[in-house]
Amino acid sequence: MMDQQTHALRGEGIALSFGGIKVLKGLDVEFRAGEITGLIGPNGAGKTSLFNCLTGAYSPQEGTISYAGEPLNGLPPAARAAKGIVRSFQHVALCPDLTVRENVMMGIARNGTAGWFSAFLPLTKGIREREEMARAADAALADLGLPDVGDKFPGELPPGMQRLVEIARAVVGKPSVLMLDEPAAGLNNSETRDLTAVLRKLASTDLVMVVVEHDMDLVMSICDRIYVLNFGEFVAVGSPGEVRTNDDVVRIYLGSDDDE
Amino acid sequence: MSEAPVSDQATHMSPDRSAMARLSGSITPGVTAGILVAVLMFMPYLLGGSWTFTLGLCFANSIGVLAVSLLVRYGGEVSIGHTFFTALGAYSVGVLDTRYGISLWASVPLALCLGVTLGLLFAWPSRNLHGIYLAVTTLALALAVPEMINNFDALTGGYEGLYVATPFIPGASMGLQRYYVALAMLVIVCFAVARLRLSRQGMALLLAKTHPAAADAFGTRRVWARISIMGISGGIGALCGATLAFSGSTVSPGGFTFWQAIFLLVGSVVSFYGLSLPRVLIGGAFVTLVPQLLSSSGAWIPVFYGLALLGMILLGHYMPRIRKAMARKSETA
Repeated sequence: MMDQQTHALRGEGIALSFGGIKVLKGLDVEFRAGEITGLIGPNGAGKTSLFNCLTGAYSPQEGTISYAGEPLNGLPPAARAAKGIVRSFQHVALCPDLTVRENVMMGIARNGTAGWFSAFLPLTKGIREREEMARAADAALADLGLPDVGDKFPGELPPGMQRLVEIARAVVGKPSVLMLDEPAAGLNNSETRDLTAVLRKLASTDLVMVVVEHDMDLVMSICDRIYVLNFGEFVAVGSPGEVRTNDDVVRIYLGSDDDE
Repeated sequence: MSEAPVSDQATHMSPDRSAMARLSGSITPGVTAGILVAVLMFMPYLLGGSWTFTLGLCFANSIGVLAVSLLVRYGGEVSIGHTFFTALGAYSVGVLDTRYGISLWASVPLALCLGVTLGLLFAWPSRNLHGIYLAVTTLALALAVPEMINNFDALTGGYEGLYVATPFIPGASMGLQRYYVALAMLVIVCFAVARLRLSRQGMALLLAKTHPAAADAFGTRRVWARISIMGISGGIGALCGATLAFSGSTVSPGGFTFWQAIFLLVGSVVSFYGLSLPRVLIGGAFVTLVPQLLSSSGAWIPVFYGLALLGMILLGHYMPRIRKAMARKSETA
């Protein structure tokens, strides 16, 4: 079994500002392998900003980010992807011009070695590579319960399935860190239940999984540990049980849910 | 889905069939293209010499239309300066032919390499420009071309231009060569572009166009995407020029003006940015044939050209509805 502490995605003292507004205020985080970690907080708390710092979309002004002890600061998203750190997006980011299968294939396209000649000519290497990628994509789709949608285009699928396709694209390359940004956004109850089952199935001892989510039932049911963020600071960290009974959390987040 | 106008369908890179099925090459678009090529193969024997010559130019212009459409479809950008690349290809062929007696067998690959290289060189400094800003930058290229050609008149022949006379296949009829070489080039370029759609590079370019952040997150840098598509489009633009030089037999600055760049863009719009052989032929035909057909209209040429353009756009826009209405009518009959 992999060492949870060693193979962790860590951030220390992460600070991010936009035009003088402090979005993240010196955060220390540790997302461990083998755990599903939740990242929750009200709108504007800084969840997606922290996500973007960890995946390289944003460069924090202060702090260090590392995976398995290797510093990631300064690495662009593409380079982090090459290290197995992948993400899904708050708003579904599938390419409408590609089939579902091809969208999933993009999760492993970076591993391809067929060059430009294969891109324009019917060379064996390119054809074989595409077939292998297609097989891997079909397997990932089947694992997520979508065995028959490979030939469709994303626009032909309901939002719930599109979310699952995004997750399939993220997991097809067997990532070491999987970061899901609001995977249940826009899903109905039934689709959320399916998603919960899928995420449980994906969890493994060597995978760091981080889930940013507003759906408290989903977070509480699947996460081993939860970080609660508010105004760029952590107000609570702990197990679902600990977070659920934390007064600050109830006041700033869960409480406001009840009020609605 | 079926009610979407052609303009919407044009943004959808693949029709209703699977990409893997198309890889096998056994489906409708391939068959359609095959039938079209077969028909075009016989055209010189059905039409007169002048029409054969005009169709050769049409095929060459279709390649230019394809270069512009490719930039739109894979890069999300518009060029109004592709005559820079067509001039580059045309003068590569023209200069090597007239000055050094080198045939197309060598000058066309060189033109392709030069087009790709200049495309890459243009893309690097403009890599962060988008939309209207990039379009205006390409405009600068188009405006510079005639002056550059005239300033290098010792090499380019200045206003008089160059005459390309070396046959591609020695001994064969030059008139037929000018037609069939252009047709072959068009078919080869269309085939290569169809292959690109199935490649990981092509898919990455499409993802980078629609969701740059997602492409970045999965290993495709947007700078790579921008530079790559400019290089490819520039290379195809140069092939257009090389084909124009051979099929048109002369290369002169008048063929690479700013207006010619605009006409290539118009051809791209008329073909709804299509990349298939039938679509680019529509664009190429519009660029080549409409001005010829209107040549006797004197001062009314711009008006009729505008009306023809409007007619094509409206026809394309309403074609799906017209088809549907006709299908309904035939069902009820």
